[in-house]
Amino acid sequence: MRILLIMVLSLLGCSGSIDEPVSYFNVETPRPFGYVNGDEIPQRIVIETRSGISLQAGSLPAKGQINRWLNLNQVTVKQNGRRYEIDLRYQVFYAPLEVKSLTLPGFTVQLSQGEKSVGKSVPAWSFTLSPLRELVVRQTEQGEYLRPDSPPPLLANTQALYGLTASLTVAALIAAYLGYLYACFPGMSRRTVFKRALRKLAGLSKADMEQALTLVHQALNSLNGQPLFANRLSDFYRRNPQYLQVSSQLAWFFNYSNRYFFSDGMIVVAQDLQQLKDFCERCRKIERGSR
Amino acid sequence: MIRTIRHMTLWAMLAAALTAFVYSAAMLYGIHQDNDLIRQLTSGKDVAVNKVISGEPELRLARAFYFKQKHRYDEALSTLSLIMDKGDQKFQAKARYNLGNLYLEQAIQQAKAMNMNQALPLAGLAKQAYRQSLALDSGNWDGKYNLEVAMRLLPEMDRVDMPDDEPTNQKSQLWTTVPGFPRGLP
Repeated sequence: MRILLIMVLSLLGCSGSIDEPVSYFNVETPRPFGYVNGDEIPQRIVIETRSGISLQAGSLPAKGQINRWLNLNQVTVKQNGRRYEIDLRYQVFYAPLEVKSLTLPGFTVQLSQGEKSVGKSVPAWSFTLSPLRELVVRQTEQGEYLRPDSPPPLLANTQALYGLTASLTVAALIAAYLGYLYACFPGMSRRTVFKRALRKLAGLSKADMEQALTLVHQALNSLNGQPLFANRLSDFYRRNPQYLQVSSQLAWFFNYSNRYFFSDGMIVVAQDLQQLKDFCERCRKIERGSR
Repeated sequence: MIRTIRHMTLWAMLAAALTAFVYSAAMLYGIHQDNDLIRQLTSGKDVAVNKVISGEPELRLARAFYFKQKHRYDEALSTLSLIMDKGDQKFQAKARYNLGNLYLEQAIQQAKAMNMNQALPLAGLAKQAYRQSLALDSGNWDGKYNLEVAMRLLPEMDRVDMPDDEPTNQKSQLWTTVPGFPRGLP
């Protein structure tokens, strides 16, 4: 019985690993050779902790100069639940005369649980650095061999080109649509009947009233597709509802036309012709869709 | 009423699109002119200074490039110092690399003439400029190479594997070194 108790107790003692604050710890480093002066070396530290334990960001090395030949350019910590990914980016500035072994210094990551703090050490990492230049210096006509200046870059014009193309396309599309509305294209004669009538009306005086009335009748007929009479106006409105807004003027036109052609002693005044032109003008606006 | 508004909107949009077109065309023309100036400066011909002053930082970089080609170091330096913080990261890396070259070329000349007092700070400045350039763009091989040239010219003699290799020791040791390239085999 005593032996059994001792065994149970010793097993409990072994199970301390369950209480380990860190369940996974790994330092990922790239190849340890083939670096040259000015190269960047990334290092990733992955830590998975038990719940309630957090990383103390202050224990990570600070961005900036670590020693004479080593800089730490970037420190990023990504936390995903209890998993931490610490990305460090070192940069080496060292000019060796031959392949030289160097060491990234190690440090201790502090993890805290309440007031307690646990350290996990990141080991130092050795790598080799190669020279870029031969030992016996190459000479040119100007003296020491140097890499030349970087030629000044030309200004990029892609953005302006995109702007130019986009604005031109939009302008052309809008212009085409307006052209359609104003019937500027050939083969759109049904949208230009009042336009043509107006043009002809402009040259007429009150003495040419007969011609003027005929012109407007012709325009209405061609819009209707067949001769339009006053008693068929309801049919016309059903097919062309937008002309309802000039119904009073249309009624006046038929009434006036009737009186002019079929009653005697009709005296034409200039105002009548003007009214006819106004009517035609309104019809033109409806025709091109601006009313 | 709605149709009237639609028509007016269409005309307004057309006017806006045409304005944008004219603006883009003017911008494109300006870029074309500036690129001509840059090509001219790169090929070794000077341009009127007022065109550079009012222009993009790339123009100043081109002018500094021109001055350096003509060995007018002071003018190149004053031109470059105006654009150190301009442009994107790649442009800044380029400007710093050219600044490093400017210092290094002078340092080599001074070292050849045995003017060590002038050569030392110039080589130090060159190294600083190359380091900054490489921190911004670590893929610049020319920068790596020339930094190595500058480091050989002004060797940093402290041993890296010494335990007291701290930045605090740097100053005292930097000025005790003698600049110059090793000649012949060791």
